[in-house]
Formats: sequence, C-alpha cells, structure tokens
Amino acid sequence: MKKGLSLFIMVYLLGFWSFSSDQEPQKPLHFYNVDTEKKIKGTIQEIIMEPRYKDSSPFLIIRLEEKRTHQRFIVEISPVRFFTHDFHKGEELEVVGSLYSKEGSQNIIARQMRFRGEIIILRDKHGFPAWRGGGMKLKKRRKGKRF
Amino acid sequence: MRRLGIYLFSILFLSVSLKADSFTFSFFQNVTDNIFQNRYSARDKLSHLGFYTDKDFSKISVFTEGSYSYLFENPSLGYYLQDVGLDYLHPVSDKAAFYFSLIGQGVFYRSDYADFNSLSINFLAAFKAYLSQTSILKSNYSLDYRSFRYSLFDFVSHGLSISFDKYFQTRTTMKSEINWGLKCFLHPYSSQEVILVEESGGHHSGRRSYLFVPRTQVEGQNIQILSFTGLIAQGIGSNVGFNISGMKQWYLSGENPFTSVEEFYMVENPSYDRFAWAGYQLGAQITLLIPWNIELKIGYTMANKEFPGIESMNLEEEPLGVTREDRRKTFETRLEKNFPRFSIFLSYVYVDNNSNDPFFDWQGNFFSAGIEWNMFFGGKK
Repeated sequence: MKKGLSLFIMVYLLGFWSFSSDQEPQKPLHFYNVDTEKKIKGTIQEIIMEPRYKDSSPFLIIRLEEKRTHQRFIVEISPVRFFTHDFHKGEELEVVGSLYSKEGSQNIIARQMRFRGEIIILRDKHGFPAWRGGGMKLKKRRKGKRF
Repeated sequence: MRRLGIYLFSILFLSVSLKADSFTFSFFQNVTDNIFQNRYSARDKLSHLGFYTDKDFSKISVFTEGSYSYLFENPSLGYYLQDVGLDYLHPVSDKAAFYFSLIGQGVFYRSDYADFNSLSINFLAAFKAYLSQTSILKSNYSLDYRSFRYSLFDFVSHGLSISFDKYFQTRTTMKSEINWGLKCFLHPYSSQEVILVEESGGHHSGRRSYLFVPRTQVEGQNIQILSFTGLIAQGIGSNVGFNISGMKQWYLSGENPFTSVEEFYMVENPSYDRFAWAGYQLGAQITLLIPWNIELKIGYTMANKEFPGIESMNLEEEPLGVTREDRRKTFETRLEKNFPRFSIFLSYVYVDNNSNDPFFDWQGNFFSAGIEWNMFFGGKK
C-alpha cells in the first residue's frame, strides 16, 4: 500500500510541476461585474460551442429570448467540458448573471440558472467560476460519461 | 492513519505551492443496517473523506482526487482510492466536439481485503453533436484495464455507446441509447481456486468465498453484453421535472466465472459490475425545487436481474440447480442544497431484494449525509 500511494503522489507531483511553469496568463474578454447583475427568464433559441478566452477550452453559449420583452441575450454558461446538462431549442431557462453590451448585442455571464427543477450554480456571488472549484460535481463529469 | 494524514497534508500543501486552480474537500457519513447486502443484515457506519484538485493548462486539464473510507464495524474493509488524470476537449465545429480523458486509479484496502487492491487505467473518447437545435447525438468509447493483487480478477473491458435525444414543443424529451460491452478476464481458470476470507463479524455477516469455475484449461473468458435504454422526460413549470426510463440488457456471449456474485454498500466488489447480469430495470424520478431553492428528488426503480453462470445455493452453500435471479425494488429520496462555495445533501434509500438464492434475499435501509467544500485559488475570469 505504501509503495502504491507513493507512486501516485509522485505522478501527481510530476504532472502538476511540469505544467505549472511558464504558463502565460489568459486574457479574459470580460470580468464578472456584480453591479450589472440581471435575472432573465426566457426560451432557448440556439446552442453553440464557441471559444471565449484565448487558449482556453470552448464555452457553451446560449441565445435566449426573454419571455416578457422578446429581447434576445447571448448567455455564456461555462467551458463545454464541465457542463453535463443537455439544452434544446424551445426549453425554458431562468438565468441570473452579469450583463454587458458588445457590438450591439446584450451578453450575460451566467452565475446561476434554474432549469428543469434544478438550480445550477455556475459562479459564486463574486463571479468566481464554480467549475474550477468542484461545485459542479466534477467527479462524475471528469469521467466523461455525461459529456 | 498517521501516514494517511501526512499524505493528505502533503497533497494540500503541494496543491497550493504548485498553483493548483482549486481544491475541494468532501465528507460523507453513511449509516446502513445491511452493509454486505445479504439476509444476515450487518449494520455499519461508513465515513468518507475526500479531496479533489485540478489545474487547467490551455485546453488540457490535469486533476487528481483521493478518498479514504472508514467502516466502524468492519474496519478491515476500509480503503483508500486515488485518481490521477487529464482531459481534453476538441471542438470540430460550433455544434460538435470530441472529449478525451485518461485516468489512472489505485485502490488500496486494509489487509483482510487486500485481494481487492487494484491499479487501473481508463481511457474515454466521447463525441457530442447537435444534429439540430432540438436533437443531440452522443457516442463514446471506453477502455478499462484493471490489475488486482489477486490476478484472477484482472480484466480489460471495452464499451461503446450511441445515444440520440429529441426535444418536443410539449416540453417532452425522448432519449434512446444502445450500449455494447466486452469484458475479457486476462487469466485462465485452470482449476478451482478459492480466496479464503477470515470472517470477522460472525459466520454469516460477511461474504461468501469466491470459487472460480474451471471453464477452460488454456484461455481467459470473455463476457459480451448489449443493452438498450429508453427515457422520457417531462418538464412541468420551471420547478418540476419528471422522467421514466427503462433498460434491457442481454448477454451475447460468456458468463460469470465466479460461483457467487456480491455487492457491498459503498464498497466496490470485483465480482459485481455492469457485466454481471442480464435482465431489465424500470424507473421513475421526480425532481422538485422546494422553498429555499432546495432540490428534492424522489425515485422508484424495479429491476429483474439474472446472473448467467451463477447457480443459486441454499444456506448450506449447496447448489440448487437454478440460475440466480434477483427482483429488486428501490425507493430513494434526496435533498440537496447548493451554495456557491459548498453543497450539502441528505439521502435515504430503501431496497427490497427478492432472490431465488436465499442468501441474497434481503432488505436494507441506507442513510447518507454529506458536505462538499470548495476552495478557489485562481482569478475571476
């Protein structure tokens, strides 16, 4: 048992050490701004996978039409590989997130969603991503069974 | 225990010093009146302490997680599990992507169950595509290699699955999935071999001995299965979801090489996995958002499983001349509250298992409570 544990610790160390050096900081397009938070209840119009940040995994993006005003929003959910729910056009979604405008379109960085009787938390109240802290049930998703 | 504490502390310290993006602690407490899931109902309490940490490097993520499980009444069944892996997502368009993961895992039991100790490698390749905005196609291939301390358990398995779902304007989603699997035991069964188990809690509270049936003198044994799953999910308002599902599994070739198949609660047993049975299961589940945004899930499952190659025995372990067949009813309920930095849950499961092998005719109550706490070391992007 001692040998096996030691082997894993060494692999773990080597993995983190070799990747930890010389990483250029990523340049985000937008930060989460708690002062521009908004709640929107709408219908999903389109689902796409799109790069949002330089050198990072593509994000899941939803085009959402607000029920009340028929205004359209582009909702940034999370990196695709961390999200296990399947969205479809026509499904209802309630989003709480930070709003910003870009090239004439209204964009939202989602913090929390209500979907099919579940609350999905994507970020904390300060905008820190939950997918980077295990709050999105990493154990199941890492095995990829629900990708 | 002291050594384990040093390892855990080292991992936490190194995760911070090596600039990990996140660190997650989890603690689960489980109580059951039937840990070995047989007619002799042995009670136990199981504590589970785990950690998870990861680091993203461009499109590749490296992660590791470890957990230690301690059983109060059967400490010899306690174990430590460690995963190390990486994953990668490769988009092929804005509607389709490949996902790959490679994971190494080690499981280390206390001395009495050291035959269950194993090292394994798992590779997964998955593909997901939006065929239209209302239908999704998924496919995945998995490869598992597992080497046990007791080499007769060693196997390599392949799995292939394809699923398709379609959402309708009535807020109904229909999903179908077909799975194929092949499990190859890597060592021949040249004679009857027995793992002798020291019973610690009385003659009938533990497990049956494993006997390997002499199928062939020179070759390993393969089990090939095929299954079909169907699911219908219905949304009712934004606070209620409901689904019913059915699954049918067939044996295409081979049969279990053991004379007995056992499941333990929360502890993996190498004699039982998805290759062990043929039959069907039907289930229904409702998900509700109740006040304070607490998720409530209530589910009911009935299953009829036959274990090819496994002959039922009487309580004196004499063969009864029929293949073992279990009819199981499961009721489960779970409350979960997610906060941005931590999650808590409570769950209760009741199982009624009727079997033509009287040793496996049992009922059990399973209670769990847990907390998961996340620490974040990165930036707010």
